[in-house]
Amino acid sequence: MGNTLNFAAVWRSFDLLLEGLALSLGLAFAGILIGCVIGLIVAFSLTAKAQLWRRPARLYVTIIRNTPILVLILFAYFALPELGLALSKTNSFILTLAIYSGAYLAEVFRAGLAAVPTGLHEAGLAIGLREGQIRNSVILPLMLRNVLPSLGSTFISLFKDTSLAAAIAIPELTFEARKINVESFRVVETWIVTCLLYVATCAALAALIRYAERRLAIPR
Amino acid sequence: MGMMMDLAAFFDQAWVARLAILKGLGTTVAVSALAICLGTILGVGVGLALTYGARPLRWLTRGYTDFIRGTPVLVLVFASYYVLGTVGLDLPPFEAGVLALTVFCSSHVGEIVRGALQAIPAGQSESAKAIGLTFTQTFAYVLAPQALRQILPAWVNTAAEMVKASTLLSIIGVGELLLRIQELISRTFLSLDFYFFAGVLYFAVNYAIERFGRYVERRSALPT
Amino acid sequence: MKTLLTLAAGLAALTFLSASPADAQQNQSKLDKVLARGRLVMGTGSTNAPWHFKSADDKLQGFDIDMGRIIAKALFNDPDKIDFVIQSSDARIPNITTDKVDITCQFMTVTGERAQQIAFTIPYYREGVGLMLKADSKYADYKALKAAGSAVTISVLQNVYAESMIHAALPDAKVDQYESVDLIYQALSSGRSDAAATDQSSLAWYMAQNPGKYRDAGYGWNPQTYACGVKRGDQDWVNFVNTALHEAMTGVEFDAYAKSFKTWFGKDLPPPAIGFPVEFK
Repeated sequence: MGNTLNFAAVWRSFDLLLEGLALSLGLAFAGILIGCVIGLIVAFSLTAKAQLWRRPARLYVTIIRNTPILVLILFAYFALPELGLALSKTNSFILTLAIYSGAYLAEVFRAGLAAVPTGLHEAGLAIGLREGQIRNSVILPLMLRNVLPSLGSTFISLFKDTSLAAAIAIPELTFEARKINVESFRVVETWIVTCLLYVATCAALAALIRYAERRLAIPR
Repeated sequence: MGMMMDLAAFFDQAWVARLAILKGLGTTVAVSALAICLGTILGVGVGLALTYGARPLRWLTRGYTDFIRGTPVLVLVFASYYVLGTVGLDLPPFEAGVLALTVFCSSHVGEIVRGALQAIPAGQSESAKAIGLTFTQTFAYVLAPQALRQILPAWVNTAAEMVKASTLLSIIGVGELLLRIQELISRTFLSLDFYFFAGVLYFAVNYAIERFGRYVERRSALPT
Repeated sequence: MKTLLTLAAGLAALTFLSASPADAQQNQSKLDKVLARGRLVMGTGSTNAPWHFKSADDKLQGFDIDMGRIIAKALFNDPDKIDFVIQSSDARIPNITTDKVDITCQFMTVTGERAQQIAFTIPYYREGVGLMLKADSKYADYKALKAAGSAVTISVLQNVYAESMIHAALPDAKVDQYESVDLIYQALSSGRSDAAATDQSSLAWYMAQNPGKYRDAGYGWNPQTYACGVKRGDQDWVNFVNTALHEAMTGVEFDAYAKSFKTWFGKDLPPPAIGFPVEFK
């Protein structure tokens, strides 16, 4: 094996890597969108007055947060069909990402909700708003600003977790990198470039989130 | 009726394979424990370098942590198994996996240590200096105890993350619990039962760690 | 004195020229390296019956494993002088090219693309797709299935080519795609499908595990060749492995090969015809 680095093989297939990266981002985005919906519902359930809501919500959060994501991915893909839910590879992976991130986002949203001053809820009632209107127009926008940093870092985490889609042969970035390794033997060069792609994307996402935080911040 | 027969078959197979399952659990524990211990030692060094190091050292360490934290753990595992071989360090799967997890753990622990040390008000070290303590004494008697209170819960969280990350080593052929479960499934065809069983086992281990963490948090909290 | 010096210089030159140790290492065939090491390192999987999987008492077994043992016996006259490296399917080629294993036997289908990266040995199995019926099925065999046209449902592994593969044999059949092999079998046993279509070896194994419950429809198509893989550029090593496999299928080690074939696929092999070499027929 030569000791000189030769990136030619990687550059030749660079477009495949970029396609894989786009798929990774797409999977993470779809996952977090559904995850946000799940997370919001569970967050409200966690703070609900009725045990009927609180108990299952807490159970869901505890179970998902303590289970390795790879086990969830394999379970969703191989075992769920036996229970009648046979989804395509991509859909089953997105569903897993959604359920996984939903548990973490529930905690994030719960903390965000707790940080919204209670006085606002009463003020809303005082000026005659209904519960639903208070929640949608007053509480949620404020909560969103609170949770943006945590939401951002959860998204970046989820983006890194898309590398596990390679385990069920979805052609995202890590899977494409393995393919190039197999075709060219240039393992060092391929993994360097793949690492750099992930690191650069994470840094870009972090910068984007910081920008969004600044734009949405309530002027003091 | 079908479900009941399935359960009986599952319990039978699980009992028959109890040795393999236990060996898998043992490997998972070994991998996690090694990664946590070595990663913590390395991570404390990283954290200290980030807090007290000279400019170039801090810059280098910051580069290290940013690079590691921006990379998926699976990519770290592959890099450790395949790339190191080309620079002369050809590691078998177990060692390569533990190395990757150690590095991953160290980046997290480093951040935790740095955050905790930097959260201590500057006044603390100033007062210590005022009453004549050396830096080592300040660190040992003033800074470390306070930092530990913040470090411990986050560290326990990282430990649970390591157990979860150990599942990735199945992809490079380390005989930890998840690979063992997959071997069982390929022989018995009971995928639903055994993947569920795997989830239960991992949940049990991590839940125990979570409870331990909360116990530690309670014990180390300042009395209010 | 002068002669002595010249002699000494000559000897020194000779020893220097005959072989520099580093060069000898580089040009040494893997065959010599393996012989010197005393053990064969083979890459294989652990999650695919009957090729490579774990027994109830956690021992690695299967047809690929037996092929490895045949090669180990050819090397060291001891089928146990072999170490197995467990690898996932997509590590089959990388582990060869990065020298983590000496050889990989892991039901590898020979394709032109793969042959550019590694050297394939001679084939040790020809795989194809087969159809499995329940023993009490109303369809007698493949002809009956084909005659029934679109009344027939086939369960198959989810794959981009699944539909076209089934329709190559049964043009009008309905196709149900499932995520994993055990689901295909469940569909058949519960009556949701009339036949299960998958690798003939998997079917043979399943039928051997469940005697009397299923039977083969008697039709195979979609041929694929399975061969072991070694690193490119080492003619001595690939020649040796080919010799070992060849003698297992036609010569001195035939009994070991036939025994393995019977264990994992449930079929008896007729011994190779004596006289004219069977491979040139």
